[in-house]
Parts: sequence; C-alpha cells; structure tokens
Amino acid sequence: MSKRPFLIPFLVPAILVAVIFLAALAEILQYSFREFIPGSLDVGGFTLDNFARIYRPVYFKAVVNTFVLSLATAFFTLILSYPIAFALVRTKVEWVRTLLILLSITPLFTGEIVRTYAWMLVLGTNGFLNTMLLDIGIISEPVTFMYTRAGVVIALVQFAMPVMIIILATAISHINTDYEKAAANLGARPWTVITRVVIPLTMPGIISGFIVIFAWTMSAFATPQLIGGGKVLMISNAIYLQGFSALNFPFAATLSVIALISAFASLALMKLIANRLERQTAIH
Amino acid sequence: MKKLMVALGALAIALASTAASAQEKLIVSVWGGNWKDGAAIIAKEFTKRTGMEVEFITGGTLDRLAKAKVAKDNPESDVVYTTSHVGYLYQSDGLFEKLDKSKLTNFANLYPAADRGDYEVGVYSYVYSPVFRTDLMPKDFRITSWNDLWSDAVAGKLSMPDFDPSHIIVASSILAGGDAATWEKGVPLLEKLKPNIKAFYQSDATSQDLLKTGETPVQIMLSINAYHLIQNGVPITIEIPKEGAVVGIGALGINKGTKKLDAAHEFINVALDPVVQQEICDFHKCSPMNKDAKVSPELAKLPGIFTTPEQWSTQAIITPDEVQAKLLPTWKAWFTENMMQ
Repeated sequence: MSKRPFLIPFLVPAILVAVIFLAALAEILQYSFREFIPGSLDVGGFTLDNFARIYRPVYFKAVVNTFVLSLATAFFTLILSYPIAFALVRTKVEWVRTLLILLSITPLFTGEIVRTYAWMLVLGTNGFLNTMLLDIGIISEPVTFMYTRAGVVIALVQFAMPVMIIILATAISHINTDYEKAAANLGARPWTVITRVVIPLTMPGIISGFIVIFAWTMSAFATPQLIGGGKVLMISNAIYLQGFSALNFPFAATLSVIALISAFASLALMKLIANRLERQTAIH
Repeated sequence: MKKLMVALGALAIALASTAASAQEKLIVSVWGGNWKDGAAIIAKEFTKRTGMEVEFITGGTLDRLAKAKVAKDNPESDVVYTTSHVGYLYQSDGLFEKLDKSKLTNFANLYPAADRGDYEVGVYSYVYSPVFRTDLMPKDFRITSWNDLWSDAVAGKLSMPDFDPSHIIVASSILAGGDAATWEKGVPLLEKLKPNIKAFYQSDATSQDLLKTGETPVQIMLSINAYHLIQNGVPITIEIPKEGAVVGIGALGINKGTKKLDAAHEFINVALDPVVQQEICDFHKCSPMNKDAKVSPELAKLPGIFTTPEQWSTQAIITPDEVQAKLLPTWKAWFTENMMQ
C-alpha cells in the first residue's frame, strides 16, 4: 500500500460505510440498555431488564429455531445442490448445461417475496403438492406443510440453492479431471472416485458454501414470516414483532444484539469445525 | 469555469423554484396505494375550495411516525393521516398541533366516536370481526358471539393478525366481564383459544390469502378486506358478534410546527364534509363519521358499516386511544410470549 499512495483515496468510501455501520451498531447497542416507555417513542434510563427477558421461552426458542433452521437449510441445500453443480460442470452436452443453468440459477433473479408466495401456493393444504400427492394416492389426507419448520426449510432451501450451486460449481470446475481419471484407472468405482477424490478436493467450496448459506439463513425474514405464519419464529421475526408492532425499540434492539452475537458465535464455531474437517479430508 | 458557474446558478434557481412551489402546496402524510387514492378525494375538494394543491408523501404507519419524530420541529408534512391510537403517539411526543375546533365547522355533526381528543379527529371507521368461509365450515355454523371462536368447529382453523392482537384480547376480556383496561381478565380464555389458532397473518395480503386458499376458513379480519373478498366471489360471511365488532378509526392530525395551520384545518374540515365522507366511504367501504353523510344503500347494509347512532352504541367496541397506545406493547409482548409458540 505504501508503494501505491494514490490508492488510499479509494478506501474512503469503504471507511465511510464502515463508520456509518459502526455508528448504527453503537446506537442499537445503547438502545438495548434503555428502558421502554409504553405509549411513547422516547426511551427511559439505563436498564438490564431487556436482557433478562431474553430467557423467556419464546425468545429463547426463536434463537434456537434460528440456529437449527439455518443448519438444516445449509445441510439440505448442500445435499441437493452438489449433484446439480457437478452435472453442470461435467456435462459435455450444451443443452443440458443450458437447461441446468436455467433451472438452477434463474430463480436467483426473482425476489424473495415472489418465490415465497409461490411456495405458499405449492405447500398449502389445497396447494399443488398436497393435491398431487392426494391424486396419485400417496396420502389420504392433506399434509400440513405451511406454518411448520419443514415448510420453512423447504422454501429456504430452494431460495438458497442458486447461491450454493454457483459456489460448488466454481469449486468443482477447479478440480483437475486427471485425478479422477487416475483414480478410475487404478480401479476405483465411480462412487469411490466421487467420495474419495472429488468431494475431498471440493471441501473448501463445500465449507464456504455451507457457511455462506448458514449465515444468510440466520437473517432470513420474509420466508419464515410468510411460510411460518407466526408459528415458526426466527430471531428476525421476533425483532420485527417487537420493533414494528409493539413499538418496543429497546427490546427489539436487545434482540438484534443477541442475533448478532449468536451469528458471530455460530460462525466461529462453524469455522472451527470446518478447519478441522478440512484438515481431515485434505489430500496430501 | 464560467460555464460551470452558469450551470450551478441555473441549478440553484431550479431548486429555489421547486422549494417555492412546495410552499404553495399542502403536504399530507398518508399510507400508499388505496389509502392515498382515498385521501385524494379529500385533496380534490380541498383544492377546489382553496385553490391550494395537495402533495402526498407516503409510507407505512410506523416509518412515517419515526420520520416525524426525527423531523420534529421542521416537519416534512402539514397533515398526518393515521390510525387514531398511533395518532396518540404523535400527540404524546409533541408532534401534533392542538386542533382549533372552531375552524372545523363539520365537527358538530360527527358521531361521538370521531372525537379523538384535542389533537386528532376521526374521519372514518372500520371493524375487525370474525369472518368465515361458508363452503368450508359446517352448514349450520354461525358466529353470533366472539365465544363461538372457541367452539370445536373452529379447532385448527382460525387465523388472526400478529401485528395487532388487540381485537382478540379486548373481545376475550369483554367475554370474561372486563374491558380493554382490565384485559388480564380474558387471559384464561385466550389460553384456551390456542389450539384453535392455525396461523397468524402479517399483512392485508396474507390475511386475504389465508381465506382465499381456505388455509384458515375462519379469521378475525379487517372488514374492508372481507368486503373485497366478497366482491371477488370468495364465499365468506362477515359476522358482527352480539358483543360488537372491534372498531379502528382512521384519523387526521396537524403536524406541530406547520406553517400552513389554517390550510391544514381546512383540509380536515373538508374531510369531515358529509359529501366528501360519503365519497370516501363508498370508495373504501368504511363507516362515515359525519351523521349527515349518505352512503349508498349497498354499502349501508354491509355488516360493520355503522350509519346510525344505534349501530354505534350496540355493535361497536371502541378502545380509548390512550389505553390502546399504552397497552398495545404489553398486549403484543404477552401475545408473542404466550400465544405464538
């Protein structure tokens, strides 16, 4: 940097954004320690009551829900995206590649609300999925998908898949196919090649994809709000309820602080596990 | 450099003229979409009478309140259109001017429910009441009392708003012999209602979807949304329970610090004019506040449209704005912690 002083002004916008962001965070932090005055937008003096309230089951459950649903979403997104990403990179047929790109990436260009509404139509009691399952005789009564954790995860997975596919496809495309050929020549079956060569070599991509989707889902709002229908609360929904319908900004700020701490703690834990996993699966 | 100076000068003149023209307009803060179109009915008549144009700034209930708080002494609007209990928050934070009711010549003709104190006045009302899909509920199913929401027929079929639980809380309290201020009396009943609740809705759109798709065949619903569904052929019935339906009131107040105090009063007075009231209510399908407003017969016969003093006294549950504004956060917290898990 010292050799290129002309680059320093380019840092100004980033510093400015960082300062504003930190100022906003500081404001949220100070609000979280302030007393709520019902019937007023003003806040009272210093209090720790907001943090004591976190231990009430509904908020604690929202934090746990956020962690569990983020983990489940990241896991299922990975499982479903990997074969698609692999096929996308390895297929030699142009139209198959185009079709896969169309099917997997284009949902990225529709908004979260639009996609969530579409899922509401699919997952409803009289929705597409239940109607189809009833028609083909797999079920005799409609299955409840809406307002359940399963329904929320299904919609979140579909929402996250395009990003996961891009990350995994990038990782898979960097593997030298000679490794796979060598393994096959030495007698490895296709499944063994995938599990012993391809997957370990793409582990950095798997880990980053998992962490990205996990972190992304931790802040999910519209999908749990609409598919969860108030029955599946994630932390962002709890913040919204407190801030924007109860007008209890101090407690909403406290929940935001807890959400931030939970996100950092979860990511640190995940990074620790990821590092260990990466070392174990590394090919020397 | 000379060219730059000329361009800057032209820009300054353009900005100054924009500011000057803004001064000639009355700025009204209102919700977007349909609500803005309803306010435009008032604006049209106001401009006809005064020659002053009206400009709308739109936003949600709470972001407009937050903006008004930030702007405080230098308000970006002159008049605020909001819900009456949110209006109480404006006034308690010193964001509303005290109304000079001598300038509101139509005030004398209003139903008592329109009198929301010294700082705001009710313009129209709507109700939250039980609604059900006639094709998805048993043939003999009726809701004559709020108590019917606790029946076995409603088990796992009910939805209600998550952003404002006041309707069911107040109704439960009334059933238990209390009122809004003594809401805790209804808590045991509320707890018994939990198994009947299938979902909570977050907006008018999701509320309508839940009924349209049949996901929740019974709902505590905003009357305006119910009429809209009926108009679109969804087989639903809106019932006014014998205890009454929970009333919400759209109100107008004047921003503290406005430089167009007289014009702002005139805008409110126009909004209370019987003919304008009739137009607003025919447009929104709501109840007028002016006793002389003659809404269409089709509208008048809808459940939840109050056009007589008797209907107001027997069918309307009205919570004082101060009680609602001060207790809503407590209700919301209790509801979230006890009903939504």
